[in-house]
Amino acid sequence: MIGAVKRLLGQAQPGDPPPRPAMIALAGASRSFDDGAIVALKSVDLTIDAGECVAILGPSGSGKSSIVNLLSGIDRPTGGRILWNGTPVASRRAWARLRRQEIGIVFQEFHLLPTLTARENVEIALMGHAIPGESRRARAETVLERVGLGHRLDNLPHALSGGERQRVAIARAIVNAPRLLLADEPTGNLDSANTAAVADLLFNLQRDTGMTLVLVTHDEHLAARCRRCVRIRDGEVADDRVLATAVVPPLAVRREAAS
Amino acid sequence: MNLIGLALRNLRRRPVRTTLSILGIALAVGGALALLALSRSIQDTTREGMDEIGDDLAVTQKDAPDIFAGFLPADTEVRVAKVAGVTRAAGEMFMFAPSEQNRQVLTVGWPETSYLWAKIPLRDGRAPNADERKVVVVGDATADALAKKVGDQIEIFGEPFTIVGISKYKAIINRGTVMMPLADLQELSYRPSQVTMVHVNVARDTSKTELERIRRDIEALGGVMVSTSSESLDNDRNFKILNAVSLAISIIALAMGVIYVLNSLVMATQERTREIGIVAAIGWSDTRIMTSIVIEGLVMCAIGCAFGVLLSFFAAFAFPLIPTIGDMISFRPSARLMAATISTAFLLCAIGSLYPAWRAISMMPAEALRRA
Repeated sequence: MIGAVKRLLGQAQPGDPPPRPAMIALAGASRSFDDGAIVALKSVDLTIDAGECVAILGPSGSGKSSIVNLLSGIDRPTGGRILWNGTPVASRRAWARLRRQEIGIVFQEFHLLPTLTARENVEIALMGHAIPGESRRARAETVLERVGLGHRLDNLPHALSGGERQRVAIARAIVNAPRLLLADEPTGNLDSANTAAVADLLFNLQRDTGMTLVLVTHDEHLAARCRRCVRIRDGEVADDRVLATAVVPPLAVRREAAS
Repeated sequence: MNLIGLALRNLRRRPVRTTLSILGIALAVGGALALLALSRSIQDTTREGMDEIGDDLAVTQKDAPDIFAGFLPADTEVRVAKVAGVTRAAGEMFMFAPSEQNRQVLTVGWPETSYLWAKIPLRDGRAPNADERKVVVVGDATADALAKKVGDQIEIFGEPFTIVGISKYKAIINRGTVMMPLADLQELSYRPSQVTMVHVNVARDTSKTELERIRRDIEALGGVMVSTSSESLDNDRNFKILNAVSLAISIIALAMGVIYVLNSLVMATQERTREIGIVAAIGWSDTRIMTSIVIEGLVMCAIGCAFGVLLSFFAAFAFPLIPTIGDMISFRPSARLMAATISTAFLLCAIGSLYPAWRAISMMPAEALRRA
């Protein structure tokens, strides 16, 4: 993480120890559909270091959601590789384990299970962790309180507003304390008030925990709150730069850089 | 919340389909249980009936395919009685005969001097006297079903017989039996000088070795087979066919029940493609996803089995109300039969649930989420 910060701050010096591998990287990753008739990504190279806050920007159909799908392993590249800590992740089982322990995902459509309450929707992300039911329940409640939904624990998704649903989805994504949080247009279905609330929540979480945040958006203002901005156009990385005017860097990163 | 709770929640979402699937399982399990119990019961009832008569050995025609199909010369009784160790022997002819109200009654014919007449437990009346013809003793179940009493006439093979006694056996097969002089039954069935079986009694303190020796000596008479009542039923072709058909129908019924579950789960997993994509996206392993779907199938199976058992008991309760055969057979599913049927249903349901479960995980989560 220090290496990433030094690179971000332009402080890398000759003689420094070799940089650690990126937390996650796309190495020549391609994704096409219908036997190649539709190309979503064209041999994309993208590395993301631990603790980074990265915005992936691009118009609809540019391939930015495909990047999130590949970074989370919920989709398979048709070409290239995805590396986690420098090691290719190949099997479905390995990806499932990473999503269970290391990677949280937030979707534009919330993707909550309609028959489960807010608490249960969070709890299901803890199933398979050998955690007793009571502890699971307590952890789900703690996280929901953290996202401001302590009073909505037993509500079904249909009884929640769009903003509340997205906060439940965020709670579900962070309940396992992931190191990487992928948010695919998390404010795409929200009004401006909820957009601000959800965005604040995500950035505060990233700042407080030091987790890596990859935010897919087409909202320039939202992207401007990230330190790094990757622009995707026609399935390729059109631009990848560190924003000079980025909002205050994450607290945890600053602490690590200073150490 | 656990996988079972989740399964119940999912099943409650589709109450009509879930109910129909459970009903399918219940009918299959109930039908299979009732059918198998009935088949076993017919054999057991017959065995009880033979035991109640008190046979040590039964002599039938050698290689006869079933106990109704073999015939022996009537003098076999005398020849068997002369075998050392045999205390008494009694010839018997039996067959199902048409009677009143379209009923087929089990009719047996005994020689007028047979000791079997004296063994009849009588509720009313008496046994036929020597040289008395065209008279019968009727089992109480048949008498009650036909509303007959001592002194009434009853038609057997279209011929009128006078009821001189009403028996009160314990075994239900005997309670439906009509007993008449052997000569009458031989005449009615055009089988003069023939019997179907010879009942054999030996001394109470006869050892197994001695009993085996007696068997061999009787078989040495030629053309006969000697067996215990259980052995004669186990070797009976009719019972073998009955058991095989019951088993086949039960398997078909269970398979149909499983197809209900399979259909229900396939449709459910198709409808819930997005949800399966969601749980996969948050890190559920393929095994866990498959397990959750199989559990849904097993929960339906468990509820269906519970209703199926109740249904089979209801069938057992209602069976005696069926005209013509209800008073001949009674059955009750045994614990062993229930365990076997339910285990089979669970096994088939688990296998049947694996296909939709496999379908559910054969798709990448992103694809599942896109299809929604």
